[in-house]
Amino acid sequence: MATPEAVAEKKELAGINADYKEKFGFHDPESSYAYKAPKGLSREVVESISEYKDEPQWMRDFRLKALEHFYSRPTPTWGGNLGQIDFDDIHYFVRASEKNSRDWSEVPDDIKNTFDRLGIPEAERKFLSGVGAQYESEVVYHQVNEKLEAQGVIFTDMDTALREHEDLVREYWATIIPPNDNKLAALNSAVWSGGSFVYVPAGVKVEMPLQAYFRINTENMGQFERTLIIAEEGSDVHYIEGCTAPVYSTDSLHSAVVEIVAKPSSRVRYTTVQNWSQNVFNLVTKRAVAHEKATMEWVDCNLGSKLTMKYPSIYLLGPEAHGEILSIAFAGEGQHQDAGGKIIHAAPRTSSSIFSKSISKDGGRATYRGLLEVADGATESRSKVVCDALLLDEDSRSDTYPTIRIGENDADVGHEATVSKIGDEQIFYLQSHGLDEEEASKMIVNGFIEPVTKELPMEYAVELNRLIELQMEGSIG
Amino acid sequence: MTDGTTTRISVCPLSELRPGAMRLVEHDGIKIGVFNCDGTLYAIEDRCSHDDGPLAEGEFIAEACTVECPRHGSLFDLSTGRPKTLPAYAPVRTFATAVVDDTIVLEV
Repeated sequence: MATPEAVAEKKELAGINADYKEKFGFHDPESSYAYKAPKGLSREVVESISEYKDEPQWMRDFRLKALEHFYSRPTPTWGGNLGQIDFDDIHYFVRASEKNSRDWSEVPDDIKNTFDRLGIPEAERKFLSGVGAQYESEVVYHQVNEKLEAQGVIFTDMDTALREHEDLVREYWATIIPPNDNKLAALNSAVWSGGSFVYVPAGVKVEMPLQAYFRINTENMGQFERTLIIAEEGSDVHYIEGCTAPVYSTDSLHSAVVEIVAKPSSRVRYTTVQNWSQNVFNLVTKRAVAHEKATMEWVDCNLGSKLTMKYPSIYLLGPEAHGEILSIAFAGEGQHQDAGGKIIHAAPRTSSSIFSKSISKDGGRATYRGLLEVADGATESRSKVVCDALLLDEDSRSDTYPTIRIGENDADVGHEATVSKIGDEQIFYLQSHGLDEEEASKMIVNGFIEPVTKELPMEYAVELNRLIELQMEGSIG
Repeated sequence: MTDGTTTRISVCPLSELRPGAMRLVEHDGIKIGVFNCDGTLYAIEDRCSHDDGPLAEGEFIAEACTVECPRHGSLFDLSTGRPKTLPAYAPVRTFATAVVDDTIVLEV
């Protein structure tokens, strides 16, 4: 029999479960919007975005060249079904507010209310060093701790960074992910807007995380933020992003590019809690380089979206660099999470690990797709790849596509993969300790993902567990 | 002409490879792109170090002395063969060039 606490929790969860639509899936009126581009992609749309932003000529040229790359490349046929995307049925640029504020009270009311409902200002007060909030195509609020600013830390939106730190942006821009890297990176390069720019000077440790929150509001929207993080020698930074969108019957597209440069002996951690509504295609390119003795970590949690294709990668370019990818994917009804990670050992004595955990239920499909490469000359390198999949019912699906290329004899590489189902014996054992079937099932899932949640700041671990419990509601019986 | 370790091959008269132009040659199964960067000649193997695809016919910027891989966009410095952008991280093979009697010559 369930305990009173468990009954209360269950009621609470049932309340929340009424549900994504209520908590995250609402949308605001668009009557006060400053600009909304007509649907469709063209040279004129790209030029108008650049013009609206009053960009330098080199950026306009970059966009137009990227557009040509986008047109010339075929849509990938591997991974998820991208043939469902109608690129002509998307608004590529929507400006909700004329202003990017540093004062919360200046943010337009509708947008402010949205972020209030999502808990952003509260999170800033509690435990963050800086916050950015992107609404549609642009960042509407940005703030960074004054002490960090005094130490030379830059945390701003990418549009502002291009205006105020053009030389710094240009030095690193698209060096990690060139526009012709893949079709979706080309699209982002052509129509990018918003995103974060982070610069941490040598030796500066940013103690508390920086956070960006991305919100799509309008229907048939394309959000194409671009984030660039530069961690100078010996610096340390943790960046967290979250994202939600309204529930619509038609599809939206989110296609970001994230580039990270971790200089010698620096440490960068990039955490994502992706919770898009289930009408969003989430097609993101994320890549980092780690120089000598640097550490780069991706913590990538994918809960929402219709289809996610995302494989954060790390190039270990300097000796003794270290890379870690922790990936968690939850695929429910109608969802395909095609996620994973890539690590390339390109220098001696580099080390890495990829831990991937996926959960599929109600016919959902979770795919692990990864690459581990050890280049010739990357002697004494070590890596471990572990992929665990948990299937909650007969209708769900899990696939694993690990690619391992070893070009160096003096390397130590391990790969493990498991697929398991929640067994009747496990449930029975936990029921014999007083849990009901649903609680037992949740406990097994929480134990399964615990290696990932323990790496998150507490507030995010709690949120992730809560979201997964929400997804689990009603999955038994 | 062979001096024991390298072979010299003729590419074309210098007048046929103007500044900003590129010419592909093949020797012993290796394709090589020869580039005229505003008067200075460079040669690299026509094979991207990222995925072994053709490289030399990508966008050539003579002023910057770079070529961009047409497949995934890595930008290579023609003077060193090193990539300036990912996804390639290893250099491509380079070859010494010379002009002998108004003819471009490669050492392979």
